[in-house]
Amino acid sequence: MATPLNLQLSFADRAAVSPSVSRDFSEEELVRAAQAGNRAAFGYLYERYAGMVHGILLSRVPIEAVEDLVQDVFVRAMPRIHSLRAADHFGGWIAAIARNRVVDFFRDSHSRTDQLDAESQNEPASHSGSTADRAEAHAILKVIRSLPDSYRETLILRLVEGMTGPEIAARTGLTHGSVRVNLHRGMQQLRQALNLGSAAKSVEKL
Amino acid sequence: MSSRKTPGDEFNDPYLWDGSGEPDPEVQRLEKSLTVFRHRSEAPTFPIILPTAGTKSLVSALQNLWPRRSAAVAAMAAFAIAISLLVSRPVPPIAQRPGWEVTRIEGAPLVGKHSIQVTGAKAKLEVGELLVTNSTSSATVTVAEIGEIQVDPGTRVRLLQTMRDRKRISLEEGTIHAAIWAPPGEFVVDTPSATAVDLGCAYTLHVAPDGSGLLRTTLGWVGFHSNGHDSFIPAGAVCPTHRNLGAGTPYFEDATEPFRTALAQLDFGNLAPESRSTTLQIVLSQARKDDALSLWHLLSRTQAADREKVFRRFAALVPPPSGVTREGIFRLDQKQLDLWWNALDLGDISTWRFWEQTPDRAMPANAQSLEKKQVTLKQSR
Repeated sequence: MATPLNLQLSFADRAAVSPSVSRDFSEEELVRAAQAGNRAAFGYLYERYAGMVHGILLSRVPIEAVEDLVQDVFVRAMPRIHSLRAADHFGGWIAAIARNRVVDFFRDSHSRTDQLDAESQNEPASHSGSTADRAEAHAILKVIRSLPDSYRETLILRLVEGMTGPEIAARTGLTHGSVRVNLHRGMQQLRQALNLGSAAKSVEKL
Repeated sequence: MSSRKTPGDEFNDPYLWDGSGEPDPEVQRLEKSLTVFRHRSEAPTFPIILPTAGTKSLVSALQNLWPRRSAAVAAMAAFAIAISLLVSRPVPPIAQRPGWEVTRIEGAPLVGKHSIQVTGAKAKLEVGELLVTNSTSSATVTVAEIGEIQVDPGTRVRLLQTMRDRKRISLEEGTIHAAIWAPPGEFVVDTPSATAVDLGCAYTLHVAPDGSGLLRTTLGWVGFHSNGHDSFIPAGAVCPTHRNLGAGTPYFEDATEPFRTALAQLDFGNLAPESRSTTLQIVLSQARKDDALSLWHLLSRTQAADREKVFRRFAALVPPPSGVTREGIFRLDQKQLDLWWNALDLGDISTWRFWEQTPDRAMPANAQSLEKKQVTLKQSR
């Protein structure tokens, strides 16, 4: 293991010649560099984990609040990164901070989870597609967010954030088996709720 | 979709799992539709991280922030001046000692020697001081920047420690509701019978006048530690404690009445060996899949034949994951117990193991002396 000083220099050198330096470093190396004061390293951790944090938040809070909360989670985590003792468990750590931020959000806004149902269909300007497409997307998301906690989070990471099962397991710290079960059962419930073809067929068989 | 499954491979959905295999048109349609919600924002400008590893790391950080060596040298000089000014500053007055803000909700809560009597008025709870609410008063405590505690009527809370990586209070009696958004393990509550460690959660903790208690988790999970006895309480579960016996076995509140009653007898009842086996049998026969939470704890709290029974029932509810063997569980191999816990999907137990290994998790020296003073005071009453 490189000393923090060597890692810093190595990190800076490699960052200068390779914009894809994030991929060259392990999670542990990035965390140790960030703990030694390297903001770039923390930025790379953001790149790597922002999607997961976004997915966790999207499964619980109103859509319009999610992007701000993602940044807030990382800004809160940054000064506390020294407290992360196992540098290779950044994912589980930042996920816990994100889930706790949800509590804070509902406490501050005196919100209730049923706000999720009542929220407007406003969305960032970058979102494209027809009104019908957007309405369908919102309807699907609403159904996913009505599923049990573990299913909705895993499904959103898979279907919205585009992460694979192994990636979800590696990022969140869940076991492969748990992610597989959550995906399978969550998808099964989603199909039934949306009355999709394969679910309808399974129901007919019963 | 079901056509791709093989018998005995219920969860084999290759496309859903990792995008391999025959594409599932329904999943593809969902992916396409939901992509509008995907995360797109750029990283914000993060503030400077102050390193803890000493000057060597600070130099490294500055080298990264300012490529030109002269700029780094100038910054170091400025830093040195700032430090010297800080060191030569007079000792802060009492009012600036570390503490947390207390806001009155109702009545006249007592903070140290002062009571807060005006609605919305605030006071500072300093390290070592007590916050006391009587039967008609309540208050809110802002826990540094990491959370909030609501203190119900009839409660005594003492602030023991407020450091960057560790906040610690002692709940001597009464009820608090804590919502903590700090990293796991940073916020700790001592009670007369066990220590509650926040693992990312919101929870209610009650301590009765006899020192027994009850912890109810509403979000995330909490660890309860007493005399080498650990209990993990996820959302929806509760865990009783006993002044002399420590933390009991956690259970989900929707467990059956016979299950809960039998569990309480196992934890705190003075049962003869044969009665104990009969009581355990009630627990096992009443256990639903969710009650695997309780059975996991019982694995290390039972002996020989009883452990065998618990093992069998637990394995029937939650099949042991790869790497977990009967022999390993019987010798209480921590790695195997941890693996099986993680299979419950109630929280990654490694978070707890990190906390256990934290060198400063023990109560600070000044807090220990405070505790001793409390005991002396109570004994002299």
